[in-house]
Amino acid sequence: MQHLLDWILWTPALGILGILLIPGKSHNVIRFWSLFVTAVTFLMTILLYCQFDPSIPGMQEYFSVKFPWIEQFHIYYSLGVDGISLPMILLTGLLFFLCILSSWTITKSVKSYFALFLMLEASVFGVFMALDFFLFYVFWEVMLIPMFFLIGIWGGENREYAAVKFFLYTFAGSVLMLVGLIALYFVSGENADSFNILALQGGKFGAMTIKLFGADWNFGKIVFIGMFIGFAIKVPIFPFHTWLPHAHVQAPTAVSVILAGVLLKMGTYGFLRIAFPIFPEAAVYFSQGIAWLGLINVIYGALCAMAQNDMKKLIAYSSVSHMGFVMLGLAAMTTQGVNGAVLQMFNHGTSTSMMFLMVGVLYERSHHRWIVRPDGTKGFGGLYTQLPIYSIVFIISMFASMGLPGLSGFISEALIFLGIYKTFTTITVLALVGLLIGAAYLLWMFKRMFFGDVNPAVVEYHDMNAREIFYMAPLCVAVVLFGVYPSPLLNMMKASVGSLVSLMAKFQ
Amino acid sequence: MELGSNYLYSITYYVPECIAIIAMAGILFLEIAYKKDESKRILLKIFTVLGFIFTLAALFCLVDLPTKKIFYNAIVIDRFSTLVKIVAVIATLICYYFGLLSRDIYTYLKSEFGILIMGVLVGTMLLASANNMLTLYLGIEMLSILCYPLAALKRSDEKSAEAGLKYALYGGLSAGVMLFGISFIFGILGTIQFDEIAVRIASLDVTQKMILLPSFLFFFVGLGYKISCVPFHMWAPDVYEGSPIPVTAFFSIVPKIGGMAAIVRVTAIFFTTENLLQYTWVGALSIIAALTMTVGNVSALGQRSVKRMLAYSSIAQIGNILLGALVLETVGYQAIIFYFFGYMVMTLLAFGITAVLSDQYGNDYFDRFNGLVYRNPLMAIALIVTMLSLAGMPPFIGFIAKFNIIAAIIQKGFYVLAVIAVLNSVVSLYYYMRLVRLVVFKMPDSTEKLFNLGIGRQVLFAIMGLLILITGIFWEELYTFAHITNQIKLAH
Repeated sequence: MQHLLDWILWTPALGILGILLIPGKSHNVIRFWSLFVTAVTFLMTILLYCQFDPSIPGMQEYFSVKFPWIEQFHIYYSLGVDGISLPMILLTGLLFFLCILSSWTITKSVKSYFALFLMLEASVFGVFMALDFFLFYVFWEVMLIPMFFLIGIWGGENREYAAVKFFLYTFAGSVLMLVGLIALYFVSGENADSFNILALQGGKFGAMTIKLFGADWNFGKIVFIGMFIGFAIKVPIFPFHTWLPHAHVQAPTAVSVILAGVLLKMGTYGFLRIAFPIFPEAAVYFSQGIAWLGLINVIYGALCAMAQNDMKKLIAYSSVSHMGFVMLGLAAMTTQGVNGAVLQMFNHGTSTSMMFLMVGVLYERSHHRWIVRPDGTKGFGGLYTQLPIYSIVFIISMFASMGLPGLSGFISEALIFLGIYKTFTTITVLALVGLLIGAAYLLWMFKRMFFGDVNPAVVEYHDMNAREIFYMAPLCVAVVLFGVYPSPLLNMMKASVGSLVSLMAKFQ
Repeated sequence: MELGSNYLYSITYYVPECIAIIAMAGILFLEIAYKKDESKRILLKIFTVLGFIFTLAALFCLVDLPTKKIFYNAIVIDRFSTLVKIVAVIATLICYYFGLLSRDIYTYLKSEFGILIMGVLVGTMLLASANNMLTLYLGIEMLSILCYPLAALKRSDEKSAEAGLKYALYGGLSAGVMLFGISFIFGILGTIQFDEIAVRIASLDVTQKMILLPSFLFFFVGLGYKISCVPFHMWAPDVYEGSPIPVTAFFSIVPKIGGMAAIVRVTAIFFTTENLLQYTWVGALSIIAALTMTVGNVSALGQRSVKRMLAYSSIAQIGNILLGALVLETVGYQAIIFYFFGYMVMTLLAFGITAVLSDQYGNDYFDRFNGLVYRNPLMAIALIVTMLSLAGMPPFIGFIAKFNIIAAIIQKGFYVLAVIAVLNSVVSLYYYMRLVRLVVFKMPDSTEKLFNLGIGRQVLFAIMGLLILITGIFWEELYTFAHITNQIKLAH
C-alpha cells in the first residue's frame, strides 16, 4: 500500500501503452479498456481514502514516495497526500471515470482521444500529488499538451482558436511560475530542500530582498505576484479569465467537464499548496486585493452568465463566478473560510460537471446549445414535458450549482460566508448579491428551456439512456449526500486545513 | 621546447582536426579517381561518413584530458572546445546524410557538398579552440569562405545564388570590421595571445580602457555576424531561405555554435575581473541577447515559409544561448553545452522533416503541412515533439535546456532577463503551435501517401524524437557529460 500514490499516478499512463497496442479500428475495445483503466484508478483512490488517517495534519508519511531524480539540482520524484489534496484526488478519479463513459459517443480518431485522455488524467494526478516543485511544474505543463489536442481536434467550430488561446494563456502564466521556482531554489540555498514544497513553507522569504532596476524589492512579494499570475490564469481570476469561455464552449463535453471540474481547481490548489504557505507575509499583505478580485469574479461572472444565450457559455461563466467564492474563502484565511474553499472546490467539481454533462446529453440530441438563437427564437422549449428523467437530473444539478440548502453547494458557500464575514464584511454583503444573480440566471435559463410551448424539434428527442443515467447517478448521489452530510469531506480536510490556517495566522 | 618536437607533441592533440582535413582532401582525390565510374561513387560516400566517424571517435578520446595549449599557445584543447566539436561533428554528419537524400543537392552536384561541409567543420573546430586573435580570425574566415559556395549550391536557382552573394557580402564586410577591431586591440595591448591580453587589460588605467572599448565592439561585429544575433541578423533569413534545406540546417547549427564557442571563450578570458570593460561587454551582451530573442520570435510570427520561420526561430534560440555566456561561470558554460546538444537534435529534426516535404512539393509553405498526421504519423509526431520542445515545454529537452540557462542567469541575479526569456518562449509557442495546428487540426489536401522516407530516415527521425523525450526526462547523465571540469578562464 505504500506505493499506492505511484499506482494511482501511473495506472493511466500504463493504460496508454495498452491503448497503443490495440488496433485503431476496434473502437469498443479501446473504450472498454479506458473505462477499465479509469475504474481501477478510481477504486484505488477510494482505497487511498479508506487508508487515509484524517487526524494527521500535513502529509501522510505512510503514503509518501521520494527518491532522487536529478541529484545535481536536488530534484526529487516525491509524492504525498494530505487532507487538501485527497478531495482533489478523489474528484479526479471519479470525474475521469465518468467522463470516459460520457465520451462513448466520440467516433473521430477514437484511439488518440482515449490515449490523450488518460495522459491528461496522469498529469492531473501528478499535479495534485507532487511535493517537489520541479516535478509539480513538469506535471503542470505536461497537462497542457493533451488538453491542447483534445480541444483542438474534437472541439466545436472555433476549436483551433480556443485551443491556442488556452495553451498560450496557461503557458504564459506558468513560465512566470518557472522563474519564481528557480529563484526560490537559489534563494533557499541550493540544498536538498530547495525544491521541496513542504520545506519551503513557513514564511522564510518574507524579509529577503532582491535587486531589480537598481532598487531593492521584497523578494517574497515579487515572487508571490509571479506565482499569483500563474495560478490566477488557471483559476481563472478576473482579468485573466478570457480564455475560459472559449475553451469551455469549444471543448467536447468530457473535456469541458475535466476543465471545469478538475483543472480549474489546480489553480486554487496551487494557492493552497504553494503560494500561500511559502509566502504567507505576501499573501497576508495582498489578501485584501485577492478578496476584491474574488468578489469581482463572483459578480462579474454571474452577470456575464446572465447575458449568455449559449448554455455552455452560461455554465462556463458560472464557473468563473463560483471560483470567485473559493478565492474569497482563501483570502480570508480563517478556519471556516479555507474549509469552505476546499469544500467548494470539491462541490463545484461535482455540480458544474453535472451541468456540463447535462449540456452534453442535450447537445447529442439537438446539435446546438442555444437557449435563445441569435435571431430571437427559442432554441428549446417545453423540454420538461418531453424528457422527464432528463429534467429531473437537470433540476438536481441546477440546484446544486445554485447552492440550494440540502445540496452540496450550500454547505460550502455558507462556510465561506461564515469565514469571511468578520474580515471582509462589505465584500460578504456584496458577494451575497452574486449568489442572488446566480439563482436568477440559472432559473431563467431553466424557464426558457424547460417550460413554455413545446418546440417541435424537441419532440423527437429521446430521454436519457441507461449509460447516461449511469454516469449521472454517482454525481447526483454525491451532491445530495454531501449536501446533507458533509462531514466525511470536512473530517478529511480538517486537520490539514487547520495547520495551514495556523501557519497563516502567525503572519496576520 | 624545440620546434620539431613541439609540433609533434601538438599534433597528437590535434588528431581529430587532422582526420577531418585528411578526409576532406581524400574526397577530392577520390572524386577525381572515380569521376567516370558511377558504380564506385558509393565508396566516396562511405569514405566521407567514415571520416566523420573517425573524427568523432578521436574527439571522444580527448574529452577527459586536462587542458592543453598546443602550437605555441595558438590553440587550446580543453573539455569545452572538445564538447563543442563533438556537437558540431554529429550535426555535420546528420546534415551530410540529409544532403545525400536531398534532391536539391544531388541533382546538381556530387561530392562538393561533402568537401565543403567538411571544410566548414574544420573551421568550426579551429574557432572553438582558438587561443589567439589570429587563429580566431582564421577560423572565422575558413568557416565563412566555405559557407558562401554552400549557400549557392543550387546553382540554377536565383534565390540560392542571391543567398550566396548576400552571405559573401555581409561576411566580407563584417570580417573586415572585425579585423579592424583586432588590429586596434593589438595596437593598444601589443599582443594577440588571449591570456596575455587578459593580463594586460588588468594593468590598464581607465582612459586606456576607454580607448579599448570601441575596438572590442568592432571585434564583436565579426562574431555577432557569425551567430546572427540581432543587429547583425539581417542576412540570415534570406540566406537560409535561398540555400537548400540540408545546408540551411547546417548553417543554423555548425557555424553558429562555433561562433558561440568563440564568444564564450573571449568573454570568459577577457572579462572576468570587474571593471569598465566587463560592465560594457556584459551589458552589451545582455541587451543583444534580449533583442535577439525578441526580434527573432516576433519576426517568426508572420512567416509563410517554414524554412524562414525556422531561421528566425534559430535566431531566437541563439538569444537564449547568449544568456549563458553572461554568467561567466562554469555553470553557464555547462548550460550552453547542454543547450547545444538539445538545439542540435531539435533543429536537425525540424529541418529534416521540412526537407522531406520540400523535396516532394518544391516549396515549404505552411499549408504543405496540412493534415500531416493523417498522411505520415511518424513524421507528424516527431515534428510535434520537436516543436513543443523548441518552445520549451516539459518533458522535452528544450525545456531542460532553457531551464538550465535560466537557472544559471537567475543565480547571477539577472531576474529581468530571465523574465524576458520566459515571456519570449510564450511568443515562440505561438508560431511553433501554428505548425502543429496545421499538422494535426487541418484535413490533408490529398490523402496520397507519397513520402518515401526510406528506412534510414524513418529510424533517424524516430531516434531523434525519442532522444528529445528521453533526455528531457532523464537528463542528469547528459548534464553531467556537459560539465566543464576545468575553467575556461586561464591561470595567469
